Amino acid sequence: MERIVTSFVAALREQGIRVSPGESIDAVQALGVCGMKSRKMSRQLLRLTLVKNVNDIPTFHEVFNLFFSRYQFVGLDEDLPTLMDAAITEIEGEFTYLDVVKDDHDDDLGPLIKIESEIDPEDLAELKSLTEIDPDDTDGTEMQVKMKGYRGKAKKPPRPTRRYTQNPLTIELDKSNSYGDSITFTPEEQIAMQDVVSKMMLRLRKDMKRMKNNQNRGKLHVIRTIQKNYRHDMVPFQVIMRRKRREKPRLVVLCDVSFSVSHASRFMLLLLHTLHNQLLDVRSFIYNRDLAEITEMLANMPVNDLMETIDTGEIVDLDENSSFGEVFLKFKKNYLENLRGRPAVIILGDGRNNYGDANDWVLDEIREKSRYMLWLTPEERDTWSRGDCLMDIYGSYCDKVEVVKTVDDLSLVVEDLLRDVYADQAHPIDRKLLREAKAAQTYDSADYYRRGSAAGSEPVFDPTGRSKW
Amino acid sequence: MVSSITQQTISDLLKANGYIADDAIATAVFLALRMEKPILIEGPPGVGKTGLAKALSVALDFPKVRLQCYEGIDEGKALYDWEYGKQLLYTQLLRTQLDNYLSVSADLKEAVERLSSEESLFFSENFLVQRPILRSFMSQKRSLLLIDEIDRSDDEFEALLLECLSDFQVSIPELGVITAKRKPLVILTSNGTRMISDALRRRCLYLYIGYPELEREVAIVRAKFPDICETLARQMVVFLNKARELNLRKPPSVSEALDWAQVLSIMKANQLTPEVVSGTVGVIAKHQSDLQKVTELATQELA
Repeated sequence: MERIVTSFVAALREQGIRVSPGESIDAVQALGVCGMKSRKMSRQLLRLTLVKNVNDIPTFHEVFNLFFSRYQFVGLDEDLPTLMDAAITEIEGEFTYLDVVKDDHDDDLGPLIKIESEIDPEDLAELKSLTEIDPDDTDGTEMQVKMKGYRGKAKKPPRPTRRYTQNPLTIELDKSNSYGDSITFTPEEQIAMQDVVSKMMLRLRKDMKRMKNNQNRGKLHVIRTIQKNYRHDMVPFQVIMRRKRREKPRLVVLCDVSFSVSHASRFMLLLLHTLHNQLLDVRSFIYNRDLAEITEMLANMPVNDLMETIDTGEIVDLDENSSFGEVFLKFKKNYLENLRGRPAVIILGDGRNNYGDANDWVLDEIREKSRYMLWLTPEERDTWSRGDCLMDIYGSYCDKVEVVKTVDDLSLVVEDLLRDVYADQAHPIDRKLLREAKAAQTYDSADYYRRGSAAGSEPVFDPTGRSKW
Repeated sequence: MVSSITQQTISDLLKANGYIADDAIATAVFLALRMEKPILIEGPPGVGKTGLAKALSVALDFPKVRLQCYEGIDEGKALYDWEYGKQLLYTQLLRTQLDNYLSVSADLKEAVERLSSEESLFFSENFLVQRPILRSFMSQKRSLLLIDEIDRSDDEFEALLLECLSDFQVSIPELGVITAKRKPLVILTSNGTRMISDALRRRCLYLYIGYPELEREVAIVRAKFPDICETLARQMVVFLNKARELNLRKPPSVSEALDWAQVLSIMKANQLTPEVVSGTVGVIAKHQSDLQKVTELATQELA
């Protein structure tokens, strides 16, 4: 039996369900405890012990039906302690079952194994009573174990679907424009980017530091108060407060990567990538018609590699037209339930839905789950209701819609948002101060940029003239 | 008692306590009892995850210890805490005793040694506040530990649970390892608002409770409200099943079905009509947009 379980586990692994050796031991133990009374019962037992995720349940049933396709249960009611011991050594012994199945039948299904209805546990432990029989000569109490293909080889990674060329459309369509000829960032751009970010951080840090000190103040720390006041004979002259765990503001970002706003999204991703782990807890998504989370990839891959991967269309298909309605539905279905702690949501896109369903009601739900919802669009307000642009409809659900045309606009908007988010979590004493600081600060920097561009001097980030989208 | 139990007795016991379990549930409980493993239950809100734990604690006569999880829960709230106030009070009150005890010693070194030999007095179970998990481990009778809505807690807390759930023990630095006297039956519930880590899943049996099949839901309604007649119960459940396919914001769950049955039995309704539904729609639909969809469904289906 333990061999059957282990090869079944191997079959599950082949289909991408992760099962640990510990779980296979559980399965064998469970079968030992309950006995194999019926097919349904055994399926339940295996499911309870081996599958630990709802999404894997349909796959499990498929594999089960395929694996035990001609299996019939015979009475095995014995309590089988020896069998369990054997199973455990078996599993720890590096899956020796692989050797047994060398002599495979030529047909698609593996060897037929007969289980006699009266076996004693010791025999079963060594599988003595399992005899291979001729496929034609069956009388009903046999089972067929499908072994072909389940040799424990690693599951192949899915083939990348490169329906799209390495070179995105932007190049041909926007030659006249100032998009540049490469989508990845040049080293100069990255340095300039870090410059923008570090300036922003400097502006922010001063306020954040003071605020964090207060934010962290919690309840009375009894032990440390006692320690501190021991010298005063336990009269609590000095009171020590517990420090709360530091909370980073949570942010969810959805970036359109279709070519109409691709450069803006890329910049946004880079900006957030730089900010992530310093000030923020960011979950990033990219979408076109499909929606995919790239938080992990942003954290683990060099940013340029990630940009290239996005360009190849492996993550979301860039060939499709963007559809906000579908993306929102997918977001609701897959991610809305696990948004934690009322994050601030930023959606970057032009709101051009290519005449699909608007599904704007989903935005209402996202709005409910979030602290703050911000939409960034590169289009001017005049065009918001022209053609297939649904910006007017979508915008009505958001707390704020900002038109961002340049990199500087974007960094100002994000800085503003950060201050808002931090201010919301601040200690009441600090909240007012922070708000005042924010008003003064953003006014200053806005003014600075305005003066800069009016005088025709170099903007902060514009090494290639690409900062206009 | 536990050794004589089978799946059938479990579903019978649960049924006697008003909980209609399907085979998967009964098997999971049976296995958890026999293999002494925790069960992790996932499923949409209101399908009776917590209800199962409650019914089990009555049916098996295990005292229930409930730990409600929330963001920021830590070991001080879940496992144990020291009673500093009490420790302090005792030192103050015992001051004269201590003086006498220590006055025998010849020099300072000996006094320190004498005192440290009695250290364990101040870090004993006497000064330990038992929080739910430790309380269920220390219980003389086998208990039922319900860790409710584990998805609301943080990752750190989940990691903290690993030791407790796999070995049924709690490590307290001052006291050492405390092992459970009787291994409790542990039930964890999750609404899936956050993915539970694989490490925790691996230590549990995994049970997914979805919306029940038609027959079982009828039985559930009838078990709770026997004065609802069979035909009305069936009509209700069929209607609710259709409503669940409407893509509602909050699809009506079993708990809504039970609320609705109660309302209908108070109203002494004996048949579902569009008027009855529109009068009581607030019980099954909990959002404004849903209200409209359900009323429309009623006029289509029941007219």
